[in-house]
Formats: sequence, structure tokens, C-alpha cells
Amino acid sequence: MTQFAATEADAAPHISIAAEPIFHIGSLAITNSMIMGVMGYALLLWIFVYTARVVKTGAKRNKVVQMVTWVYEMLYSTVLQIVGDRELARKIAPLPISLFFFIIVQYWIGILPFVGPISWNGVPLFRGLAADLNTTFALAIVTMVAAQLYAIKVHGIFGSAGRYLRNPIKDPAGAFEGILELIAEFSRLVGLSFRLFGNVFAGEVLLVIIAFLTKYAAVAALPPFYIFELFIGSIQAYIFFMLTTVFISLGLISHDAHSDEAHSPADTQRIAASETTN
Amino acid sequence: MYQTFIQFASTEAPAEKADLFGSLGIDWTLLVIQTVAFLVLMWFLGKYVYPALSRSLDKREADIEAANKAAVETEKNALKTQAEIKKLLTEARKEAGEIVATAKEEATSMVANAEEKSKTQSERIVAQAQESIAKEVLAAKRDLHNETIELVALATEKVVGKAVDAKIDAKLIKSAIEESK
Repeated sequence: MTQFAATEADAAPHISIAAEPIFHIGSLAITNSMIMGVMGYALLLWIFVYTARVVKTGAKRNKVVQMVTWVYEMLYSTVLQIVGDRELARKIAPLPISLFFFIIVQYWIGILPFVGPISWNGVPLFRGLAADLNTTFALAIVTMVAAQLYAIKVHGIFGSAGRYLRNPIKDPAGAFEGILELIAEFSRLVGLSFRLFGNVFAGEVLLVIIAFLTKYAAVAALPPFYIFELFIGSIQAYIFFMLTTVFISLGLISHDAHSDEAHSPADTQRIAASETTN
Repeated sequence: MYQTFIQFASTEAPAEKADLFGSLGIDWTLLVIQTVAFLVLMWFLGKYVYPALSRSLDKREADIEAANKAAVETEKNALKTQAEIKKLLTEARKEAGEIVATAKEEATSMVANAEEKSKTQSERIVAQAQESIAKEVLAAKRDLHNETIELVALATEKVVGKAVDAKIDAKLIKSAIEESK
């Protein structure tokens, strides 16, 4: 994405919305975000496999393991709190928790100092995977499809479709509401992917511009922005996690009668959480 | 910097016009690859990592629950023990009170007995002393009587001028005393 250090001092930074191909395997373009993504996947797998091994063997837990287990516990209890049912929470939790860890790791490694300056044939060799709209779209698609699948699992195909498709003669307002709900599902998909992409991309552009403007003083000027980006990364990961949990749990609410009586206390909590996060 | 943004806008604008998805970098093949890669990651974590973490979490929850239960039980036991201690203390106080009362009673009775004994003893001593005094007085009287008789005999002998034997002497004295009475 950037090559401010590789080119002349006065050259403008290279900014591209799309991830750029570095080489091709057959017809498949391997982009700079994919190279970074592989590192992110490897790091994530190493952290989790190591943590699981330590937890399984009961060995002494170092800071990394303590942090991972603490975050896992916190996220799991949040899912449980929103869903309100232990069995369901256990089934649902892996997706939002995986999303959280995936996004935070990919976001954080995307702001490492070597991401940008090192280039290959004029194209930055590394780019954060979360700064690739393909990735954020993929995550959003997985989330929304999972939300639909869980809804179908709980309410059945017709029960789930009943959220969107209602008899306009019997219930014209409900039919209109169903159409709005359908549109809302797509807007959620777009919102999820663009929110994350926008934040990551803006963060990377911010770092590039600060580095470009401050030149050699970048050594002193960048650290506060790195810290800021680390913070934003964790916030974005948590927002994605929270929205995923809420969207899934909204599909689980019984919507036979859209009345307050139909909502359990957990449902009410979910609706409130959804309204807050949206 | 102005040039930077101009360049950024000018390079992206024609692409946006041509293909919205393409200009944003959305490639359906890459999208599928990213989706599959994430699903594989999730499957792997769900299969090999999360169960271990969940088990650890469950164990910790169970431990906390057991500790809570134990704490409640201990508190209950402590309260029970406290009540027992209170009861025992009350009983002990009651018993101590009773013992003190009994001791006081016994002490009083002992003092009374001692007083009575000492009184009896002192009375006995006084009686003995009085008896002994009386005896001594009687003995002294007798001695005085004898001495008086002897003196009178001597005096009479001197007055009469002749010796009188003891028998006559005694007769005379006796008669003299009876007369003097």
C-alpha cells in the first residue's frame, strides 16, 4: 500500500484501496494482503495451539496463555449474557470469538512498521489482511449466513422465513416490516464489512501520511498513532464480535407475536444490545 | 500533500466508474478463498482449541462454585459453632453462678459453725476457769481457816498460859468459833 521509505523522500505515498497482486499462481493472483494474512493465520494458530496445549497439560500459564484464556472467558461470558442460554451460547460462541481473535491479530500485525515500506516491483509487499475488502466481506458473509442458519435451526425454514415474508392481506404492516427486515439484513452485511475495512484502511492511511509528513521525525511522531491504532484494532474486533453475537441472537428470538410478552428477559437484553451497538 | 490526494483520487476514479466491485478490490475468487480460509480456521479452533478452553472454563466455574459452597457451609458451621459457644458460655455462666452461690452458702454455714464452736469452746474455757478459780478460792479459804485456827491456838495458849494438847485445843477453838457465830 505504501512505499514512502523505499522511494525518494519527496515522492508521494502509494495508496490503493484494493489489495495489489504480487505474483500469480496460475490464474490466481496472490495479493500483498494474502501474504500478510498467511502470517496472521500462522500467528493465530500458533497462539491458540500453544494455549490449548498449556491448558490441556495443566502446565504453568505464561502471560500469553493467561491473556488468551482471560479474553476467551470474557467473550464467552458476553455471548452467554446476550444469548441467555448455556447450550446455545456454547454452539454460537466459536464464531464470534474466532472473529474477534482473527480481526485483532490481522489488524495488529497490519500496522507493524515493515508493512508498507518494503515493496516488490513498486508494489508494497505486505498489507494488512483486514485492509482487504475481500476479507471483511468474507467475514460479514460468514456472519450473516451463520445468523440465518442458526435461525433456521431454532425456528425451522418456514419459521425463519416468516420474519421476512408475511401475508400482506392479513398483515400489511407486518409484510412491509418483513421487507424492511430483509433490506436490514443486507445493510448489516454491507455495514459490517465496510465498517471494519474503513477503519483498518483509514488507520493505515493515517500512519502512511504521518510518516510521509514527518519524514525523519516519524520515529518520534508515529508511536502515539501506533498506540491509537492498537486501541482502534481492539475496539473494531470487539464491535464485530458484538454485532455478530447480536445478529445471531436476534434470529433466535421467537417472533410469533411481536409483542413484549413474547420476549424473554434474554430477548429483551439482546434487543437492547442490538439497539445500543447499532 | 495536496498532490498526494489528487493522485489518490485520480487513480481510483476511473476504476470506480468502470466496475464498483473491481475498484474496491473485490474479487470473487479471493472472496471465496478468504471465506473458506476463515471457515477452516474456525473449524480447527472449534475442534481442537475451544473445547480445551471451555473445559478449563467449566472446571474453573465448578471450582468457584465448590469454593462458594464450601464458604457457605463454613459460614453456616461457624454460625452453628458460635451459637454453641454462646450456649456453652451461658451454661458455664449459670453453673459458675450456682457454684459461687453454693460456695457462699457453704462459707456462711462454715463461718456460723466456726462461730458456734468457738463460742462453745470459749464458754467451756470460761466455765473451767471459773471452776478452777472457785476451787482455788475454796482451797485458799481452807488454808486461811487452818492458819486462823493455828493462830488462835497459839494466841489462846499464850493467853491461857498453859499448854493445851491438840485435842483440847481444837475443842476450844471450835466452841469459840461456834460462839462467835
